[in-house]
Amino acid sequence: MAAVVRIKNLVKNYYLDSVTVYALRGISLFVEEGDFVALMGPSGSGKSTLLNVLGCLDRPTNGQYHLGDEDVAVMDDDQLSEIRSKYLGFIFQSYNLLAQYTVVENIEVPLLYQGKHLTEETRQHCIRLAGMVGLGDRLDHRPMQLSGGQQQRVAIARSLVNDPHVILADEPTGNLDSRTSDEIMVMLRKMNQAGKTIIMVTHENDIARWARRVVRMRDGHIESDERNEEDYIHPAREGDDKQPWMEAIVK
Amino acid sequence: MRWFITLSWWDKFSRSLLLAVRSLWLHKLRAFLSVLGIIIGTGAVIVLMAFGEGSMQDALEDIQRQGATNIIIRSEKPTDDSASSKKAFIASYGLTDADYQQFKMISTVEWDVPMRIFVGQEIRHLDRFVPNGRVVGTTGKYSLVNRFGMATGRFLVDDDDFNMANVAVIGSTLAATLFPFENPVGQSVVIGNKFEYRVVGVISDRLPTGSGTGKVAEEFNNDVYIPLATCQLRFGEKVISRTSGSRSGEMVELHQITLKIAKMEQVRASGEDVRDILSRNHMRTDWSVTIPLDRLEEAERARDRGTLLLAAIAGISLIVGGIGIMNIMLATVTERTREIGIRRALGAKRRDIVMQFLIEAVVQTSLGGLVGMSIGLLIVFGVPLLIAIPVKLHVPSLFLALAASIITGVLFGVYPAIRAARLDPIEALRHV
Repeated sequence: MAAVVRIKNLVKNYYLDSVTVYALRGISLFVEEGDFVALMGPSGSGKSTLLNVLGCLDRPTNGQYHLGDEDVAVMDDDQLSEIRSKYLGFIFQSYNLLAQYTVVENIEVPLLYQGKHLTEETRQHCIRLAGMVGLGDRLDHRPMQLSGGQQQRVAIARSLVNDPHVILADEPTGNLDSRTSDEIMVMLRKMNQAGKTIIMVTHENDIARWARRVVRMRDGHIESDERNEEDYIHPAREGDDKQPWMEAIVK
Repeated sequence: MRWFITLSWWDKFSRSLLLAVRSLWLHKLRAFLSVLGIIIGTGAVIVLMAFGEGSMQDALEDIQRQGATNIIIRSEKPTDDSASSKKAFIASYGLTDADYQQFKMISTVEWDVPMRIFVGQEIRHLDRFVPNGRVVGTTGKYSLVNRFGMATGRFLVDDDDFNMANVAVIGSTLAATLFPFENPVGQSVVIGNKFEYRVVGVISDRLPTGSGTGKVAEEFNNDVYIPLATCQLRFGEKVISRTSGSRSGEMVELHQITLKIAKMEQVRASGEDVRDILSRNHMRTDWSVTIPLDRLEEAERARDRGTLLLAAIAGISLIVGGIGIMNIMLATVTERTREIGIRRALGAKRRDIVMQFLIEAVVQTSLGGLVGMSIGLLIVFGVPLLIAIPVKLHVPSLFLALAASIITGVLFGVYPAIRAARLDPIEALRHV
């Protein structure tokens, strides 16, 4: 399988008034399509910075970053915005839904910024995604009317709407209780089994265990990069675990 | 492919529009207060322009009635003559025939109408009478120089004057009082308890003219018109009139001369000529010259002053309103920093953010403008029902007000919108 994320010698420095912060000191990482990576490390290790660069929200000081076929490191703000709307999906710790929009409208947002014309077809697609995450009966609800777990599910549906190369999740269960956390992780696992590439930042080992691969960082370097032995499931073999509705997402 | 892009632009635009309206609806009071200046500004524009237009209209109609190219010369009892008025029981003053002949010689004069006017005259028919009617001795050209219609019959003609005929034309109220049940034409009236006149016509209702010179407005409906020659014959040079208690007399050759000038451009110069003649011929200021056209210029100047004042008021209100909007939008941007971060993360470009907030600002100001216009219209159509003030809606002011409110939104919304777009997405996402 082709590596959908290819980072070589990524350096990120923050130049403040008095000091320079060397957040990433030459990271190289390859993530293949269909992989599920947990990014871990103590505070200050650079994992959040790495996620920001991966998410094209921040530009590296040095190094290469290829996302799919695109050389992202040299792009300007407008181009990066387009990359985000087309090839990336985000899931945040605090859900980050738009309060004035309904569930369906929230799911539509990446399409809106992609420059896609919103037709009846796209709306149906969003409605289907809402159904997939179990919110088919709450299409017109506003985030305020949903629980944390429900909001995160909307965020998940939103992250799938543009069929992205990679889904980036930042502590997706951080604000949820353990039962809801499990629900969400099951959903992520299923998405991954259907072929979606997921890179997830977490500080909890329990959550990291849901992933296939754990990358640990410290002081701006990658400390270790291991496959999860337990619960490791190769997508090709688990044919019956694949839900037919997941096929629809992987266009 | 191009139309495709335009379509999606419309999507973003309509989404922003929808969002703007939703946000405003959620914070009605705040939205209202922030566009208060604009509401006042647009309302003021509509109302003040309508008042200006109304009084212009009023003045114009008045002038038309008085005759736009007329010069009205009147005899005035000299006020500085208090000493002599104590001595002389009969006051002698005013326009003379000599004046009149000289006026007729001014080349620009198209028609000239001399008048002798007597008030306080009893006008009687059989047992009905009016104790203080106004008698006007004049020529046929009076009907050309003034605007009015005949209800029945005819006005005086030159032959009447030539023949010194005993004919009279009466006003509508006089007709109604003296001849309630019959056609006045052919009937006789007795004026001043002395002479009989045959009625040949009745004038239809005439509106009084405004008080351009500060004199009491002329009321026409109680007048009776007789040929000037007949008047000279019958009334003679001296006229004794009875006014509340006292008797006074006066000797005035002509009370009023109205000149119709051929072209409007010549009116002013002709007025000067008239004044020259009068100052040469008269020692005292026992005359006055009224040019209705002056009133027009006066009205135009007043309107221009009004418009300037209006522009100042409107301008200030819109600036105040605009600053209010900018202030509110800056606060809104800060409030929604997180939201901006989310949108950017999901793929919004900087210009998408600018458009979103600019549209919000413009929607606010436009709605404020519409509210202001509605209030303005309410006042413009409501006030005349309560008070008799001339008001006329100036339609261009509606478009002006709307355009101004939209432009204010754009001008004052741009800065907050750009600030919103320049936020760093990562920082914004960290915001509370």
